Parts: sequence; C-alpha cells; structure tokens
Amino acid sequence: MEIINGFLEAIKGIFVGSGIMTLNWQNYIMIAVSIFLLYLAIKKQYEPLLLLPIAFGMLLVNLYPSIMAPPSYEWVPMATSTDSAAAGHVTQMIDGKWYYQNPQYGGLLYYLYQGVKLGIYPPLIFLGIGCMTDFGPLISNPKSLILGAAAQIGIFVTFTGAIFLGFSEAQSGAIAIIGGADGPTAIYVTTKLAPEMLGSIAIAAYSYMALVPIIQPPIMKALTTKKERSVVMEQLRPVSKLEKIIFPVIVVILISIFLPDAAPLVGMLMLGNLFKESGVVDRIAKAAQNELMNIITIFLGVTVGATAKGSTFLTLDTIKIIVLGLIAFSMGTSFGLLFGKLMYKFTGGKVNPLIGSAGVSAVPMAARVSQRVGQQENPGNFLLMHAMGPNVAGVIGSAVAAGVLLNVIPH
Amino acid sequence: MMQTSTAAAQLTAALSFYDKSISAAKVILTGFVVVFAMLFLLIIIIKIYSATIKGAQDAADRRAKRKERVMEPVSGESGVHIIKRPAYVTPPTVEDEIPEEVVAVIAAAVAATMGPAVTVKSIKKTGSGRSAWAHAGVLDNTRPF
Repeated sequence: MEIINGFLEAIKGIFVGSGIMTLNWQNYIMIAVSIFLLYLAIKKQYEPLLLLPIAFGMLLVNLYPSIMAPPSYEWVPMATSTDSAAAGHVTQMIDGKWYYQNPQYGGLLYYLYQGVKLGIYPPLIFLGIGCMTDFGPLISNPKSLILGAAAQIGIFVTFTGAIFLGFSEAQSGAIAIIGGADGPTAIYVTTKLAPEMLGSIAIAAYSYMALVPIIQPPIMKALTTKKERSVVMEQLRPVSKLEKIIFPVIVVILISIFLPDAAPLVGMLMLGNLFKESGVVDRIAKAAQNELMNIITIFLGVTVGATAKGSTFLTLDTIKIIVLGLIAFSMGTSFGLLFGKLMYKFTGGKVNPLIGSAGVSAVPMAARVSQRVGQQENPGNFLLMHAMGPNVAGVIGSAVAAGVLLNVIPH
Repeated sequence: MMQTSTAAAQLTAALSFYDKSISAAKVILTGFVVVFAMLFLLIIIIKIYSATIKGAQDAADRRAKRKERVMEPVSGESGVHIIKRPAYVTPPTVEDEIPEEVVAVIAAAVAATMGPAVTVKSIKKTGSGRSAWAHAGVLDNTRPF
C-alpha cells in the first residue's frame, strides 16, 4: 500500500509540475507562433539560419519558462548549528533558528543569454561578417557611402514616431534601429537601451530582413521611373590589395576616434575584414567566418527567441514595434532611393537609383533585390556589384547610427 | 523586466509634447549630421588614399616599363642584341597522352598565377587513386599542419 501511495504521490507531483498545470494561455499562443515561424524557416526558407534557432528558443521558453530563469537561493533550516550540509554556505539565524543559503542555479538559456545581455555576441557576429565582406565595390566607388548614409535617415525619423506613440526615449531608439535592417546592430542597441524589448525588436528586425524581397520592390518601382531603372552603370575599376588592406584600418581609426560608442561593432567588423584582406591569417579568418560565427549564431538565435515569453511578448507594444519597424525599414529604403535619384540627376544619368535601396544593410539580400528589379527593366543590366557598394556602406552606416543613438539617448 | 518597461512608459508619459518634439528634433538632427559627416569624411579619405596608392603604383609601373625598354633587343646598324631572357628555354617534358591544348592551359594557368618568370619543366599524369576534388580536400585539411 505504501508503494502504491508513493507511486500516486510521485505521479501527482509530476502532473502538478508539468506544463499542463503551469502554462498559461499566452504560452500556448506563443507555442503556436513559434511553430509558424519554424514553418517559415524550414518550408519558406526565410532567413532559416536565424529564424530556426529563434523560433525554437521561443518554443522552449514557452514550454519551460524556467529555462531562462536567473539564479536564486533559498534559506534551508539547519538540523544542528554544525550541520555538515551547510559547509561552505552562508548561514544566518532567523527567529532563533539557523538557516543556510542553498543556491538555485539559473536555467541553461539564462547563462547563454549573458552573451546577448552583455553585448558580446553581436560584435562577434560582426567579426564573421567582416571576414565575408568585400569592400572592393565601395572603395572603387566611394560615393556609394552617401547612399549607405541616406538609408539610415529612416532610423531617426522612426524615432519621432515611436516617442509620440508613448515609448520612452531609450525604447524609441531601440525600435528605430530596426530601420537599419541589421540584426546584430539592432540587438546590440536594444540590449543597451531597452533590454525588456529585445524579443520583439529582434524578431521584427529579422523578419523584415527576411522579407526584403517582398517589401522593397513595390517601393522601388513607386519611387523610380522606367528610364531611371534602365540605367546601365559603368564597370567598376579594379581595387588593389593594398587599398583593401588599408580600408579597415582607416575606417576603424576614424569611427572609433569620433564615435567611440560604435567602436565595438565597427572594430570587430573591420578586424574580420583585415583577417580576410591581409591574407596572412587564413586559419583565423576561416574560424571567424565559419565555426565562431555558427556557434554564436546558435547561441544568439536561441536566446533571443527565448526572450519572447508569452507574458511579455503578447502586448500592444509588440504590435506597435512591428508596425514602427516596418515604417523604419520602408523609410530607409525610400531615403536610399531618393538619394539615388539625386545622384542620378547630378551625374547626368550615370547612376541607377535602384542601388540606393541597397543602402539598408541586409547584406547581400538588398543588393540582390536591386539587381533583380534592374533586370526586370533591362535583362542585360548587372547592378549587383554596384549595389554591393551601398549595401556594405549600409553596414558601416547603421553601426554609426547605432553609435549616435547610444551617445545621444540617455540610458 | 515588465517593471522596467512600465517605469519607462511612465517616464515618457511625463514628457510633454514640447519635450518629445525637442528630443525627436535633437536625435534627427544629430543623427543626420553625424552619419553624413562620418561617411563624407570616409569618402574623402578613401579618395585621397586611393589616388595616392594609384599614383605610387603608376609610377612603379612606369619605372618597370622604362627598365624593360632598356632591356629590349636593339635592332639597327650595330646589330647588337640585348636579350632579357635566355634565348632558348627547354620545352617541358610532356607525356605523350597529354594533348597540346591541355599543356597550353596548364602553362597559361601557371603563368597567370605565378608570373612569366616561372618555367614549366614537365607535365605528367599522376597515378593517385584520389580525384582532384579529394586531393583539394586533403590539401585544405592538412595545410595548417
């Protein structure tokens, strides 16, 4: 009988501690959302490298919220004042009775999340991106930096919208950075300005980056004429190895001196690029762009997804963030195109304004979209390398914009 | 986390329309000016150093060409021929079953990657059981050691 009772008690204990008893309706909605995101990542292949771990992190935290729980401790009563179980623990007398402090370790994802919270993962991702980026098109046509700068205007305009919608200055800055279309930058800024919004902002940023081929073309067609879209640009000049080696060193010196807040992102980006261009540290360059980048992507994706707990994610603020993010992204695209049109006018029709939309980072997707829309007008037009200039300029531009936000907004 | 969010929202609610406008204008103006200033400065620097490097490389090319011109055969009355390279280069030893076109492609690839000063001495098939891709893979994995 005792065995049966023990068995029933154990089953009851398992049932009480199970998700069926502890999860709320918000968790179930988030589980459904995460399954939908998994579907988009696997079936539709929308940014699967990030969306899949994000969606799975979201699924895990809503099934088992303690996986993101911070460490805590409990006071356990001591049998005697010299209880051996208390050895090495902090002891305290409460109401005439001795207790010892028993630490409760945090959940797995809580510890992995520290890399996000402390701003470690995004710069490391930038290191890998730097190893994979060719700044050649930008060096051969430095004017494309103007387009990379223009596409960042959307960030600052969206800040206005957010602050008037009731968000704090810091939160508005974090929301506005979605317009930079750069996931690691968005996460970096959000962890500094408004960590409580990380889940919503990261998911909005990566979703819009994945939706670049759907969001950008209608804006590109609406803001440009057929004649402008048909412009065939002159071939870019070849860039020497020395120019490519000097570039990261100059950029990091310039930006870090004038805007130190952007130094972690730009510094790592340029370090990675120097690994690649110097040609003397092939092994390190390979490790940074493959193993390190993949490991960090897993940690970043899963833990960012795990910040999307039902109770904090399913709010009106999340909807506002998603709408504002779309506005920021569309405005970034529009300003890039408008500056592209200005360059078209000033150069006497030598610049195709379509390359302006690639000024939002989203490398290389935004450049591919410029290429595709350009080819719809003129199948013999190859804009890809021309669009890569503003595209990589956008990465530098969004890191500079992040530095400005961190500098100007009190946090 | 929720507490922080609520506190921040309350803080914003406390901001007047005027304060919000000032804050927005400050961010837009600073952002616009700083981002464009930094990237304009970069454009100028890239242009300067590109021009400097190009100038230096052009000068080096001109010097090299001048040197080559001096070394070129001088045809004329004197009949003196200064020859830059040896007059006779031993042709590479090539196995019979390798077609001439393949020899030409290999020689061209060697010249393109290693420069014209290198001479192909022999071309022969190796009897390894590995395919070219497998060879490349082994090389790639063993190179660090």
